Amino acid sequence: MSLEPPEPELDVGETPDGELDYDELADLLGEHVLDREEHVNAKGFVIRPDSVETVLATLREEAGFDHLSCLTAQQYPDRYESIYHLKKYDDPTQELSVVVPTASEEPVSGSAAGVFDTAIWHEREAYDLVGIEYEDNPDLRRILLPETWQGHPLSNDYNQDQPQIVPLREHANPMEKRTQVPDRSDTMFINIGPHHPATHGVLHLETVLDGEQVVDVDPDIGYLHRCEEQMCEQGTYRHQIMPYPDRWDYISAGMLNEWSYARAAEDLADIDVPEYAQVIRTMAAEMSRIAAHMLAIGTFALDIYGDFTAIFMYSITDREKLQNLLEDLSGQRLMFNYFRLGGVAWDLPEPREQYFQKVRDFCEYMPGRLEEYHNLLTSNELFQMRVLDTGILPPEEAKSYGCTGPVARGSGIDYDLRRGDPYGYYDELEWDVITDDGCDNFARALVRLKEMEQSARIIEQCVDVLEDWPEDEREIQSNVPRTLKPDHDKEIYRAVEGAKGELGIYIRSDGTDRPGRFKIRSPAFCNLQSLEVMAEGEYIPDMVAALGSLDIVLGEVDR
Amino acid sequence: MIGILKGMATTMKHALDGETFTVSYPEEEPDVSPRFRGVHKFSQERCIWCRQCENVCPNDTIQIVMDDQRNGEQYNLHIGQCIYCRLCEEVCPVDAILLTENFEFVGDTKDELAYNKEELKNVPWYKDLDPLESREPDREAWVGEGDGEVDYQ
Amino acid sequence: MTLAETISSALGLEGAVGQFVGGFIGAAIVGTFILANAAVAGPWAKRKITAAFTDRISVDKLGPLGIGIIIPDAVRLISKELIVPEGVDRPAWDIAPLIIASSAILGFAVIPMGSIGSVDLQLADPEVGLAFVFAVASIASVGLVMAGYASNNKYSFLGGLRAVAQNLAYEIPLILTGISVVIFAGTLQLSEIVATQQQSLVELGPVAIPAWFAIVNPFAFILFLAANMAEVGRNPFDIPEAPTEIVAGFQTEYSSVYFVLIYLGEFVHIFLGGAIIATIFLGGPSGPGPASIGLLWFLVKIWGVFLLTQWARSALPRVRIDQLIEIGWKGMLVLAFANLFVTAVIVGVLAPL
Ligand code: SF4
Ligand code: SF4
Repeated sequence: MSLEPPEPELDVGETPDGELDYDELADLLGEHVLDREEHVNAKGFVIRPDSVETVLATLREEAGFDHLSCLTAQQYPDRYESIYHLKKYDDPTQELSVVVPTASEEPVSGSAAGVFDTAIWHEREAYDLVGIEYEDNPDLRRILLPETWQGHPLSNDYNQDQPQIVPLREHANPMEKRTQVPDRSDTMFINIGPHHPATHGVLHLETVLDGEQVVDVDPDIGYLHRCEEQMCEQGTYRHQIMPYPDRWDYISAGMLNEWSYARAAEDLADIDVPEYAQVIRTMAAEMSRIAAHMLAIGTFALDIYGDFTAIFMYSITDREKLQNLLEDLSGQRLMFNYFRLGGVAWDLPEPREQYFQKVRDFCEYMPGRLEEYHNLLTSNELFQMRVLDTGILPPEEAKSYGCTGPVARGSGIDYDLRRGDPYGYYDELEWDVITDDGCDNFARALVRLKEMEQSARIIEQCVDVLEDWPEDEREIQSNVPRTLKPDHDKEIYRAVEGAKGELGIYIRSDGTDRPGRFKIRSPAFCNLQSLEVMAEGEYIPDMVAALGSLDIVLGEVDR
Repeated sequence: MIGILKGMATTMKHALDGETFTVSYPEEEPDVSPRFRGVHKFSQERCIWCRQCENVCPNDTIQIVMDDQRNGEQYNLHIGQCIYCRLCEEVCPVDAILLTENFEFVGDTKDELAYNKEELKNVPWYKDLDPLESREPDREAWVGEGDGEVDYQ
Repeated sequence: MTLAETISSALGLEGAVGQFVGGFIGAAIVGTFILANAAVAGPWAKRKITAAFTDRISVDKLGPLGIGIIIPDAVRLISKELIVPEGVDRPAWDIAPLIIASSAILGFAVIPMGSIGSVDLQLADPEVGLAFVFAVASIASVGLVMAGYASNNKYSFLGGLRAVAQNLAYEIPLILTGISVVIFAGTLQLSEIVATQQQSLVELGPVAIPAWFAIVNPFAFILFLAANMAEVGRNPFDIPEAPTEIVAGFQTEYSSVYFVLIYLGEFVHIFLGGAIIATIFLGGPSGPGPASIGLLWFLVKIWGVFLLTQWARSALPRVRIDQLIEIGWKGMLVLAFANLFVTAVIVGVLAPL
């Protein structure tokens, strides 16, 4: 399915052994590159604000950087800076940062929206929180905060004590603005959400309908914005940040989220993790993944079957079993706070055999349950009638919107960081990356169902490994100083495969024991953006199904 | 058609097998694992007023008031604000603050959930589960003090 | 003697007064009986059934198997605040729940529910019984449109429109299939239709298989069941409410007593659907055993249909509005006509030969 040139042909700047030759890339960009920067994960090219589009287009077309993973904006005392974190869908270890400094007085930058669709929302967020203006962005509105918000909270001169007083009449009335699509007088504007049974949280879809068909949909997010990035910036690396990742994607995916922070911070501060802890992490993370996918399947069924479906309760039952296992392990059912920098908080619960047995029992019980899901869902003709060929997301669009996780894999994109950019214990284990070329709602649900099978496989192998681990080598945490102070101006962007896709963390250290900038690349945020592609022209029920198949968690979208 | 029938057969199977997954709370209580993190318990005898728990708490849930001789006067913990991360227990050098397995606590107002020293001492163990024992079997030896139960009032 | 006649003769009244008083008291009895069934179904049976499908316990604290929940639930529902949204079109908005609830109960006026002694548990037995049932049952559509339109809410509006589209598409096949039974039975009178089904079709030793139309013409039976699902708005055809799409459709803006009325109306509707199916396909109150337990058999049949709707809810997805219309007009209608035609040919042409 890939549109990239076949294997033997190398992209510009790629060496035969899959490494990046940054000099060649710099030559490709010529005089656009003003300077070079060193980030822990990749090298950065500093470019001028007005050449953003050209540079990114060149890198995309000729050097194969087809994945705009994240955009981080921040303010330094003397300048603003936007960092475009680029990757390749084919090989996520080939990374490049494009650094765009803009002047403090007039933070105006070119936009990447012409090259990557995903840049639209990322730049809106940067504008909203930091205050950089992206000139050619077609839709530069606030995204997380209300339209009437005064100031940009992550900029240096923001006064957080200043009350936000906005008279009622200035609040945008969503009905007024776009009640109708121009030239089409027979349409109806409808607010789906923020309180609506299908929006999986507080999502607000400003929808324009023509009869039952969706003409235009504009997700309005930010209702659950809790300043997670700022909270992390105020916590110490060593202890205080770790409880918060659990609260981004709070649908049981806590372990996966914690890993994203752990991985970024460990690489930033050069902390080793004992192998034994990595195996436990891998096992815990895959349990989280199954639990999260269970809920995704359950709520997807809820969207399509109506609220009395048994499938939802079955998947909650199965998730409950995993939560019990995770509770035994970590002491909490959702907000685990189990990972620590350099390892995990606890060894496996005693008696170990009993715990292994419980995990094994679950892995044995899974296939039977999965068969039931297939009976109830995928082999049901009415279900097929509903979801096959609806909510189409072609692979090119998926890449342009930065979709990752089951959404991308349901569009036939073979992208999984567990294999593409291995971490933990994954590369020692036997498992497959599931993809499906269907590109529709059905494919996305199917990918999740099959991924659970693979996760169960991983868990089983982890249990085998853990069982045989020599007793005196069970080191669960390496020696980490009580206060961590990574070097000044060290920057890193690291991602792991979360339940919804690529969950990345950017950290810039400022020499203290707290991050100078902490940026979360939320997979659900990027995936949600592609709803427009899936929903427009479809019926309302199909839009609801597409939303369900995206499996967003508003806690992660809004952070 | 076969698929539809298969789906209906599946739910009917569940209806007829008579198994239930939910339990009839409160008559029947689900098991709580020994590591579960519930409401805190505090031991004034053990506490050395080092304020580490106050420092590590990510959201300022713990408030310690000391007099000018650095003797502890107050130990307040807002269990309604706490995120049950257990960091306070983890950093406490003498296990003076513990998270019991007790999750059954209520308050009519937010104020009622702001526990002071006395209230924290009186938090009951959950089903006589001693968290210290169940969590880290060798930790007690390290603390080198007597039996947890006696110590925690 | 019908119920009304029994009552008037027991009271010693005659003529128009007797008819009126007898009919009135009889109607009260039948109505109360049906509402009692709905009361059991709504707060309790539905919960228990759904719980069984989903491996849960559900209500179990009050009374045996938790059946006592009906009382607190009734108090709770009725004592809630009635919220009247701004800009609703009154009195249409107030009348709609009444129409929805009463249209369903009206249908029971002509349903034969068995007999005790010489008293037929049937309020009236007009010659056009079946036509009457279909006619009053479809009045509910008017209520749905009124509710949807008067609520001044876009979701209600969409729900109302969906309800009309759906009822139009499914009422015709429903009635056509009903007519095929009429052709068999040669009458519209419900007691006659029941009586025709009493003959045995075949005798297998001591067991006589009765000539229930469900057995004589299973195809029509299944068609009718499916169309009935759409008629009462249950999975896979519950799209007028479709909570995950349009919140609650036409009933979005109703609360408190009005909500109870609509809710009750839906349950009574399911029971009426069950009663029609029982009457024209399953031999009405007939069944093994003495005639005096006919009422029991009747109840078993309508609760069976109720159970079926809940079962379908647990396992079947709802179809999309366009698919629903397509199934209705291009599928069911054609099949219903085919069924009617074949029945007519068999009864009119082949049978006399
Ligand atoms: S558990 Fe966490 S949030 Fe609660 S008091 Fe302890 S450190 Fe603070
Ligand atoms: S860390 Fe432990 S000893 Fe120190 S003040 Fe807190 S409770 Fe007391």
